[in-house]
Order: sequence, then structure tokens, then C-alpha cells
Amino acid sequence: MKKATIAGLVTLASVLAVTLTACGNSSSSSSSSSSSSTSTKKLSFPDTVKNDKTAISGGSLTMGLITDTPFKGIFNEELSDDNNDSTVMQFGSESLFKTDSDYKFVDGGAANLKLDQKAKTATITINPNVKWSDGQPLTADDIVYAYKIIANPATKSSRYTDSLANIVGMAEYNAGKANEISGIQTPDGGTGKTVILHFKQMKPGMIKSGNGYIWESAAPYHYLKDVPFKSLVSSDKIRKTPLFFGPYQLSKLVAGQSAVWVPNKYYYGAKPKLSKITISTVTPSTAAQAIKSKSYDILGVQNAQYASVKNTKGVQFIGQIPLSYSYLGFKVGKFEKGKNVEDPNAKMNNVKLRQAIAYAMNIDQVQQKFTGGLTFRIPTLIPAQFGDYFDKSAKGFPYNIAKANKLLDEAGYKKGKDGYRTDPKGKKLTIHLAMMSGNVNAAAISKNYIQQWKSIGLRVELTSGKLLEFNSFYDKVQNDSKDIDMFMGAWSLSSEPSPNDLYSAGAPFNFTRMNTTEQSKLLADIDSAASFNEQHRIAAFKKWQEYMNKEAYVVPMTNSWSVTAVNDRVKGYTLKVGGPNVWADVAVTSK
Amino acid sequence: MWKTILRRVILMIPQIIILSLFIFLLAKMMPGDPFTGLITPNTSPSQIAKLRQEAGLNNPWYVQYVSWVGRAFHGDFGMSYAMQRPVTEIIGERAVNTLYLAILSVIITYVIAIPFGVWAGRYEGTWIDTSIQFYNFISMSTPSFVVYLLAIAAFGFGLKWFPTSGSVSVSASGFFGIIASRIYHIILPSILIGILTNASTVQYLRSGIVDNKLEDYVKTARSKGVPERVVFNRHILRNSLLPIAAFFGNVITGLLGGAIFAETIFSYPGMGKLFIDSVNGRDYSVMTALVLLYGILTLLGNLLSDIIMSIVDPRIRID
Repeated sequence: MKKATIAGLVTLASVLAVTLTACGNSSSSSSSSSSSSTSTKKLSFPDTVKNDKTAISGGSLTMGLITDTPFKGIFNEELSDDNNDSTVMQFGSESLFKTDSDYKFVDGGAANLKLDQKAKTATITINPNVKWSDGQPLTADDIVYAYKIIANPATKSSRYTDSLANIVGMAEYNAGKANEISGIQTPDGGTGKTVILHFKQMKPGMIKSGNGYIWESAAPYHYLKDVPFKSLVSSDKIRKTPLFFGPYQLSKLVAGQSAVWVPNKYYYGAKPKLSKITISTVTPSTAAQAIKSKSYDILGVQNAQYASVKNTKGVQFIGQIPLSYSYLGFKVGKFEKGKNVEDPNAKMNNVKLRQAIAYAMNIDQVQQKFTGGLTFRIPTLIPAQFGDYFDKSAKGFPYNIAKANKLLDEAGYKKGKDGYRTDPKGKKLTIHLAMMSGNVNAAAISKNYIQQWKSIGLRVELTSGKLLEFNSFYDKVQNDSKDIDMFMGAWSLSSEPSPNDLYSAGAPFNFTRMNTTEQSKLLADIDSAASFNEQHRIAAFKKWQEYMNKEAYVVPMTNSWSVTAVNDRVKGYTLKVGGPNVWADVAVTSK
Repeated sequence: MWKTILRRVILMIPQIIILSLFIFLLAKMMPGDPFTGLITPNTSPSQIAKLRQEAGLNNPWYVQYVSWVGRAFHGDFGMSYAMQRPVTEIIGERAVNTLYLAILSVIITYVIAIPFGVWAGRYEGTWIDTSIQFYNFISMSTPSFVVYLLAIAAFGFGLKWFPTSGSVSVSASGFFGIIASRIYHIILPSILIGILTNASTVQYLRSGIVDNKLEDYVKTARSKGVPERVVFNRHILRNSLLPIAAFFGNVITGLLGGAIFAETIFSYPGMGKLFIDSVNGRDYSVMTALVLLYGILTLLGNLLSDIIMSIVDPRIRID
């Protein structure tokens, strides 16, 4: 469960920023929009800083965390569900397992993982050199305790999932019927180095990080055992003096604002190179200024501000495309009694109508104008970073007005005298679009698309006549409000990309409420036993993506570069996937 | 007078009850709840449903209200959904930050406003008056966050005179070190707040002086041959300060509400920011506690104003 985030929340965080950046940024954005409209070159960023100078010994590094709310300060992977906290604790918190660039588990981290299909087990073997920052060794108890923290209802952790209940005895423990999780065994005893997980069912995704079936962190049992589960989340041992086994340990903290990390002298890997790392919060509205004045060694760049900072000297821009996408979804039914029920007579339950709407969207043009290409159109619902799982032949829905018109004509949506089409039965057709107000440019973008759809004769109006605030939006979308025919949302994905949680027949997050036998079959195949064969799984993913683009219940829209500004004096910093903890290698080359 | 104060305090009880009921209902009417934002592929909907159930969010509103009031009576406002900490603890932490900022802002406001008001009133119609009036219009009509952004860009990031975020440096240590760091962090925002929010005080003072200059007792004093300085200080100025004093109680409570824009732009974790965040995150427990607190503070502020008035103005007695 690797820092899976909620794209919705990212938007929430930017809601407040909008009012402020809209003003603070007006001078810079106007200059950028004029220059960017001409170039259509595809943007690209390196994922690692380039610095050939020799690192100095020690030295301190400052990092900014862009947020307009103080960070919560829950420094424990089992209890935290917040991106900001993950960012603040990244220097100390380290995953149990090492992964390669495809998120596959490999040996060489704090612990190794071995799956046994026949026995339906996973065996975790701890590296004997790994120690917590108080010098105590990492033990089997620590791994078991992490599962207990998640599953014990008293901790109120939001991390407990149906996937974890695939471990034998987990559900019983969660329900309070058992004191121990029967399917988690420690053959060498609690202080030993081996943990065996017994599963009810083996899943193909288990070989990858973020799969949800295997937890990838440990909690210091010797340190936390005296704190009752109920008060764990508010205890000082989590909030003020957390223990980690990563390269750095928390040394000083101003709650919600800043933290200082110093080397963990018991770290099992390479000796940490910096003597101090300070991370503090930066308001979105001042972040561009902070980059220009080089106030931080490492600071994220907000896409709307990239144009105004990109020429800053002494700063390198590195980037990564996050595992997420935005999409346009069509409501075709309701969630009833734990199942998605499609309504064959729903307004949007016409594949040609959906395709026409998708083809009429000039996504490339819009993103070139507003983000200079930092945000770009994607052809399928599996992001390209998933390597082989991504269907390279997918085209998605490139802008094509003629095709859109043709599709509508074929489907019997006839144009009236007013230029608008009626539905195939000859009735007036008005489509309601729900869109969030998070983005600075959301209003302009909504107007543009409505204009586009008008040009193919479709009358589209915003739900409630305006952009919706985050809570109202998801309230309406989740409850299948009648005011919504289509909606623009976004998902962040875990590094194991099985789409079952988002699109299966029983998934509450399947917001379009699509449910076809073909879909269920294709989804089941992705997580079936046959998919333990990698080639079979790749083919299954491809078939599913083709089906989704054919049926167009969900139209893949965009993904964005996530850019970070790094001072030239920083060495070794990378956004690359894999490796236990990048911070062990980060250094500076001048004071 | 004590009797009156007691009566006023007792009258506050039904006011607070009605207020709390309103707050609670309005909060519940907002779309979404604290768990709306938890949608992720890694969170099970069933777990969210369970947390929602345990938090009592599925109960009828009156059940929730009664349990909330019951706990509030014991000073327990519950746990913040967003921060996972007791509400009283969070508010306490933020209130300290807000107090620092509020006290310095008030001092700066009055240090600027009182002389400006006095000069403008005393030299009514001259260029001094005109320039002060001009400054007033500018400060009232400029959106404060624009000024904050410009100032933080110039003095924070540009000249690096002031810190650009937070309430205290993480490297500050020792009692005095921490106090000094705290004050260093509030200098820029409080100067800006002081410069931008004194217009009403200046105007009250100015018009008071202008009015009082024409009063009969001033003419009498002048005709008696009282020196002009004494006439101004004793007869005009003292009377003109009354509305300022009357206003003072409200100013204090208003400032405790926090300076939302300044707090947001300076990443200063105060009460105003807490309130906005709690509304956006549907953090009911924090939100309702804060609105209740503001309500009580407003009632107390009015009482305080009346008491101050009765002390400084012998013509008024509240009994």
C-alpha cells in the first residue's frame, strides 16, 4: 500500500489556493498563455538531478511542502492516510520491501518476500542488520503489530480493507472475535526474523508493491506496546517521537509546520550523507516566489505556476508522471444493495452518444493553452507508467468533430431548427455535466467543452448551473444524483493497477454504475489464477482497456507531469521508483 | 452593576443554546461529511461505512445533538476527524498563535490609528487631514491579500528580512529563543494587519473630534481663556475617545476569530485558518466548537464594551 492517494483530495487541497493564486499569479499567467499557444512540442523532464560536483560531508538540506493546511502529524504508516504526513516522514519511514522500477518486489530491502502459490503463503524474512532508530532490532513482532494496528477497530485506522481480510483470521480479529490473527505466524518467535502470512486466496497482484494484500510497513512493537490502541493515534510516541528504521530520524518538530530530521546512526544501509534535513510548509500562493528566491533546496512546482518559474537560474526541474488520471464518466445506473445496477433506458446509455461526446473534446488544445503541455491527453485508463500493462496501441478519443457528428447521426439524434439535437425518440435532450471547482482554470475549461459539444448539437449544462465544490461533487456523484448525466473526476492509483476496485460490478467506487457481463469477465480475468502467468495478465489488461474504450462508459482524459524544483547544489535526489529509500543517497555539494 | 452583569450572563444561556442548535443544524446540512475525502482505491468502502457508523454520523440529528451538548458541558468537544486529536487541544494550540498575532496587531493598529485620527480631526480640512483620509480610503479599498502577497514577495522572499511561513522556527530553542522566534514571525503580518485595518478607528476618532469641536462646552472653555492645548486634550479628545473605548470589546473578540487571509498567506496556523479548514474538510467537531466559541466571545465582547463604557463615561450606568 504505497502512498496511494486520492486525486479528489489533491483537488480539495487546491481549492483554497485558487482564490489566492488567481490573484497573485495574474501577471505571470497572462504572459505564459500568449507564449505557450504556439508551441506544441511535448514536454519532458528528467527524473534525477544532475550534479557532477563532489558532495561535501554533512551539510543541511531544506525542503518545502506545498500545502495550505498544517500537516496532521500522524507519523505512522498504519494510521496515517494523508499525503502531507507521508511527505514529512519520507526521510525516516522506509518500506519493508525493495522494488524494481516496475514496482515488483525484489530482494535486498529491510525484508525479503517469498510467495508460495501451493501453500497459499507469503514468507517475510527480515534482514538481521535492520534496527530501529533507538537501536533495537526489527523483529517479527513489529511486522505482526502493524497488521494489528490496522485491523484493531479501537485504532480507527482507515487502512483496513477487504483485501487485507484475505489473510486467514484477519476478519475475526477485526470483528473482535480473536485476540491474535491466526493466519499470521512467527515460526522463530516474536523476536525472530520470520513471519508467515496465510492467505485464503492467492492473487496475481501480490508480486507487486501496493497490492493491498500484504502490508509493506512495520511498527515498533517494543516501543508502542504499552500504548492502548485507542489512544495510539494521539500519543506522543506517534506524534512527537516516532521510531523509524529508515536513514533519518525525527529530531525536532513544530506541529503542523516544520520538522528536522537527523541521520539514524543505526541505519542498515549506506550511511546517510546529510547532517540535517528541514522540511516546512509553504503556502501555494507563495510557492512560485519561494522557487524564484531559492528559499528551499527542494520544492514542488504547481502546474499553473510552472511558466513563471521555469527560467529560474540555479534550479533544475525534474519530473515524474504520477499514477493517476482524470476522466469523464457517464451515469448509466444506480448503486443498489451492494451492486451496480445499469439502467438500459438511462439517458447516457447509448454508446454512440458517449463516443461522440468524447470525440468532441479538444483536450490537447485546452491543456496546451492552460498548462503549456504539463497536462496531456491519455488514451486509456491504465497509465503508461505501468509498462507492459499499458495498452500501447490504444488511441483513446482524439479530437474529431466530423466523427462525433457522424456517430450522433447514426444513432438517430436529429438536429432541430435551433441547432440542437433531440434524442432518438425526438424529445429535447439536455445533458448535465458535474465538474469540480478545484482548478484555477476549471470555469474556462467547462465553458470550452460546452462550446465544443454545442458545435455537434448537444445541449450540455453544468449540474446546478455552476462548478461544484469538492464535497458537494462527491456527495452527488456517490449518491447517483439525478442532476448528473456525466461528471469529470480523477483517480490516483496504487502501484498494483488491478481495476477491480474501481470498475467491478460490486465496487461502490464504480461511479458510472456500468455493469456488463463482458466487463465482469474481463475484470475477473485480470485477477484470476491464470494471470499468475505474466503474459496472460498483460493480455487481460489489454483486452479490458480495449473494451473500456469501445464502450466509452469512462473516457480517459488527462494525466499531468508532477514537477519538482531542485537547487543545483543537491546531489543524488531522484523521483525514480524502486530502491528502499532515496534519502540515503541524497547529499549537497556546497554549504 | 454586578447585578446587571450577572443578569446579562444568565441571559446568555438561552442565547447560547439557540446558537448551538443553529450551528449544529447548519453544519449537518452541508453536503458531504468528514469521510467524503477518504475515497481511495486502497480504502474499502465498507471500512469507511464502519468508521462513519462508529462516529455516530448515521444517527438522527437530535441524537447527535444531545450527545454533543452532553459532552460539551464537560468540556469535551470530541476528536477532530481530520487531525485525529482532541478538539480542545487543537484549539488551544491555535489560540496561542492567534493571541500573539492579535495582541501585536491591536497594538500596531492603535499606535497608528490614534495619532492619525487626532491629527485628521484637529487639522480638519488641511493637507494633513486630506492625506490621512486618502490613506484611509486606500487601506479600506485594497484587498488585503494582495498586499500580503506583495509584502511577502518583497520583504520575505526578496529582501529575506522576515520568515515567510509558520509561527515559530523549528530550530529555535530555549524559552527566550522561542519567544523571540515567535515575535519575529508575527512582525510582518501584524504590521500589515495594523496598517490595513485601522480605517474605522481613525474615522471614529476624527469625526468625534470634529463634532466635539463645535460643542458648547468647548466654546465655553475657550471663552474662559483655557489654553488651546488643554481645551483639546481635556475637553475634545477625551470625549472623542468614547466610541473607541466602546468598540474595544468587539475588537478584542474579533481578533481572536483570527485573520484568515493573513494566516493563509503566511502559513500561520491560527484560529481563522483552522475554521476555514474545518469547514472545507467537514470536520464537524472542530467547526461546531469554534462557532460556539465565537458566539460566546461575541456575547462577552458586547458585555465587555458596555462595562468599559460605564467605567469611562460617567453619564452611562448600566443598572
